[in-house]
Amino acid sequence: MLMLAVLAVPLLALVLSTSPVDLVAGLRHPLALSALRLSLLTTTSSLSLTLLLGTPLAWWMARHPGPAERVAAILVQLPIVVPPAVSGLALLLAFGRRGLLGPVLEQAGWALPFTTAAVVLAELFVSAPFYIQSAATAFRGLDEDLLWAARSLGAGPARRFFRVVLPLSRPGIVSGAALSWARALGEFGATLMFAGNLQGRTQTLPLAIYSALETDLRPAKALSILLVAVALGVLGVLGRRTVLEAARARA
Amino acid sequence: MLELELDVQRDGFALNVRLALARGPTALVGPNGSGKSTLLRAILGAVPVQRGRIVLDEHTLLDTARGVSVPTEERRVAWVPQEYALFPHLTVLENVGFGVPGPTGRARAAAVMDQLGLAALRSRRPGALSGGERQKVALARALATEPRALLLDEPLAALDADTREATRALLAETLHRLAIPSLVVTHEMRDVLALGGPVVLIEAGHVRSTGTLDVFRASPPSEFARSLITRAVGGV
Repeated sequence: MLMLAVLAVPLLALVLSTSPVDLVAGLRHPLALSALRLSLLTTTSSLSLTLLLGTPLAWWMARHPGPAERVAAILVQLPIVVPPAVSGLALLLAFGRRGLLGPVLEQAGWALPFTTAAVVLAELFVSAPFYIQSAATAFRGLDEDLLWAARSLGAGPARRFFRVVLPLSRPGIVSGAALSWARALGEFGATLMFAGNLQGRTQTLPLAIYSALETDLRPAKALSILLVAVALGVLGVLGRRTVLEAARARA
Repeated sequence: MLELELDVQRDGFALNVRLALARGPTALVGPNGSGKSTLLRAILGAVPVQRGRIVLDEHTLLDTARGVSVPTEERRVAWVPQEYALFPHLTVLENVGFGVPGPTGRARAAAVMDQLGLAALRSRRPGALSGGERQKVALARALATEPRALLLDEPLAALDADTREATRALLAETLHRLAIPSLVVTHEMRDVLALGGPVVLIEAGHVRSTGTLDVFRASPPSEFARSLITRAVGGV
């Protein structure tokens, strides 16, 4: 019971301290509006990249167990466990102007740090693992005979993937995507270090909440309530699977 | 005509088979673990064959000596595994039509479903079907693609006794009408009798005997064959 109170009281305080008038005013604050727009833009981008790049990786991991797959599994799990500040620093050391790939990127005319693209990259880095694990688990659970049956019926790789693999893996794919999106939306530490906190460019919702603390508490509270509501929505998508099950989902 | 020469090494199990199958059904019998399912999967292309050749009519599907291996999806060998492997998320019509996309394919799927008495089930999903219905859907799905050969892995084993009786006759009749090489794995002498075609006995990964049903019955080639025949007589 005490444990429940510890979990519930802060959320209660958040809701009780915000009148409907405050909520509306907070959400209309310029800080809130631009952060909302930016977060929608960046998380949509990072989720798209996650699906696009993560799905083939998850498929490969599910279909080719072995030493290479185990190395990949560790790489995929690390960003979940590593503190976001460490991820931010690592991203900076990789893609920063003096980072590992800095000179290459500079020649190509790209300066990533402190841009909106950097926000997307930070979100991708910390959130894609949730999707990849969940999708790989779903792929591993497929009945092998269904795929052989599809092949014997003349279905090539694309038809097998879109008509058999994807529909049958949908629960794992949807919950992985929801979880990954929620993680990207809440991303704070890596974004702050790698992308900075520039309103309209890199200041996402969590960073806006942090910044608002120093000036006007209303947008901070309003955005926080909004994020709690979004989180409840994500729980709805996950259905009866708990967040931890979905996050830890792996064979 | 389906000609096989297969050498499969898999998890300590060795399958070494040389066979020529005529058109029409051939029963494949043998003890558990003798390699019947593996043989079917090797013909399908679902298990690697170390050395061998598969020639179906004039088409070479596999020739390891020449480095030829036609991918499963182009072999036109239909396969009905033990649990049927129906697509659970698709309706009966979508299952049967899976291998034949397009309007002509849909017509062919509908025709095959009519033949097997499945028309009324078209919009059901496999989860809502009885065992016998599932078996027919799997058969219809295989036949709709107009395969050049058919592999059936214990097609009647999952059915209850009554359904098995009814389905057995339909299966035998369908396979005779098709007149393509069909290999039917079974554990039941009654199935062998209903199919009426040649019998291949496989034991410990090797073909122990192959010949007509009459010869198989008249002089059972092994202890297993004898028990298969007597079990059928005694077990009625």
